[in-house]
Amino acid sequence: MSRRLPWAAIARVPLYLLAVTMLAPFWWMVIGAFKPVPELSRNPPSFLPADPSFDNFHDPSWTPGKQIAGHVAGLFQRWPELPGGYFRFMANSLFVTTAVTIGSLLLAAMAAYALTKLEIRGRRIIFLVVLASMMVPWQVSLIPNYLIVRNLGWLDSYQGYIVPALAKAFVLFFLVQYMRSIPDELVHAGRVDGAGEFRIWWRIVLPLLRPALAAMAIFIALAEWNNFLWPLIIINDDSFANLPVALSRLSTSVAQNPQGMGVVMAASLLTSLPTVIFFFVFQKHFTKGITLSGIKG
Amino acid sequence: MSTTETPHATVRSAPRIRAAKAKRRPHLRRNLPGYLMLAPFLALFAAFLVWPLLNSLYLAFTDFNGIKPPNLVGLDNFTRLWTDDARFRKALGNTSLYVVFSVGLTTLLALALALAFRTTRLRDKTMRTIFFLPSVTSSMALFLIWGWIFDVEDFGLANTVLAWFGADSVAWLSTPELAVPILVFISVWGGAGYGMIIFVAGLNAIPEELYEQAEIDGASAWRKFWHITLPLLRPVTTYVLITSLIGAFQVFEAVYVVFRTTASNVGGVLDSALMIVPYLYDMGFGKFELGFASAIAWTLFIVIFVVSTVQLRLSRTLKDL
Repeated sequence: MSRRLPWAAIARVPLYLLAVTMLAPFWWMVIGAFKPVPELSRNPPSFLPADPSFDNFHDPSWTPGKQIAGHVAGLFQRWPELPGGYFRFMANSLFVTTAVTIGSLLLAAMAAYALTKLEIRGRRIIFLVVLASMMVPWQVSLIPNYLIVRNLGWLDSYQGYIVPALAKAFVLFFLVQYMRSIPDELVHAGRVDGAGEFRIWWRIVLPLLRPALAAMAIFIALAEWNNFLWPLIIINDDSFANLPVALSRLSTSVAQNPQGMGVVMAASLLTSLPTVIFFFVFQKHFTKGITLSGIKG
Repeated sequence: MSTTETPHATVRSAPRIRAAKAKRRPHLRRNLPGYLMLAPFLALFAAFLVWPLLNSLYLAFTDFNGIKPPNLVGLDNFTRLWTDDARFRKALGNTSLYVVFSVGLTTLLALALALAFRTTRLRDKTMRTIFFLPSVTSSMALFLIWGWIFDVEDFGLANTVLAWFGADSVAWLSTPELAVPILVFISVWGGAGYGMIIFVAGLNAIPEELYEQAEIDGASAWRKFWHITLPLLRPVTTYVLITSLIGAFQVFEAVYVVFRTTASNVGGVLDSALMIVPYLYDMGFGKFELGFASAIAWTLFIVIFVVSTVQLRLSRTLKDL
């Protein structure tokens, strides 16, 4: 494969064109967010905002209750009854994502340690049930989970997001696989030194588990950041909405009206930035995480 | 859970030393930390996964509507769903089309991208980053952008591109024949980069010596691809196929965000974009026929289970050829 035939370069050309197609929607979002309202419905559209503005984020000439042609409420001027407005959703998403990621990793890492390194009766059966549960699509448990959360009075609450999401079968499965590669001698050495199991887990096992935890953390955090169907069902009150639900409601409220699409693009841009920045900072971990779980799983 | 298991400790015919140890200290007390560490996961796993699954199986055989206590109705939900529900047939048909084309095209494109951009050169890294970008962007944001791109007006991006080629504007999202192709396009655009990363890892795991040996034997590039790359890539291909298959069957957000026109319509014009999970959402949380919606959920499981089993068998048969 070291010597390249000339057609190999030619064959790449359509893929370069495709790369342009890949970037076009992102570009369309960015310029949409900075186009003033009249420019959003100009025909033919502009591919560089002729008169870029922050009006879609905050429009100084917009006043509540008054209709001025060419001006709509900016993103930060919406949800006036909600303290923080748009940033409330950002905070909700950040909090829920962090809680679910840390919580589910700790629970699964603890359980994986017990299942692989400690004497547990029926561990084969437990592991088998966990494996079997991975074959069932999660939507199957959607309705009963909704009923449970409703009976607990957890609709419109953070618990409603977090608690049902903590026990993740695939995380346990992955960590058990990884834990098997940690030599038992290390654990024994800890016991000889008189450390309790919890201490061994925290001081010896967790640090060794770090690559696996990092890989899983990225998966869990991305999934939780994008979580939509579950909050759509359990969250009615805007003050508990996460970003996807808030964005979906925002787009419904401006539906079919090009004037509001600038605000929707502004919100989309701000919602995408955290994960994209996160990706560029931890790029290596992303690809490593995917291949680690991909090849092993 | 564990109290019932203590009596077995002395009955078991375990090695003598272990038995003696167990007698000195009962199993449960000796291993208490282990059970304590397992308990939080198991409790939540049982409460929010195992129990809901069993409960959903039960609900699928009832007429539960969320308010009145459920009555058992036997197989009524399933017979209604499978024999005379035109909307479900529509949803199943759309989903099948979507799965076949989305999974097929995503995998092909992912493999092509991996073959073209597999090295650590800056050019390849940049291209990989570009194609991977949708995987790390908020999916809600992406679907909102696509909705805006496929705007019905002349100034929508899709219609502007058509105008460059002298074509007339198209009412993209309200043309029933275009619904599934648009969803396939969006999913291939968004998913190819992810598969590409896995394929790149698979390609780089193939020993270079095999290619060198083939080169000495005078094999053409095509033969090397066909006889070395593809066979050695089979486990990776199977993995990509199965995971994207399972994901494609569960499509919801794209349909809900891009095609929903009014609050009560989830499937687009004439249900042209209706899929299994949006239909489940509509019946369960729009119409509150929770028993019937549970039957849809278990049907989804059966479909995914059968298709992925067949796919695994196929891959194994191919290997034996």
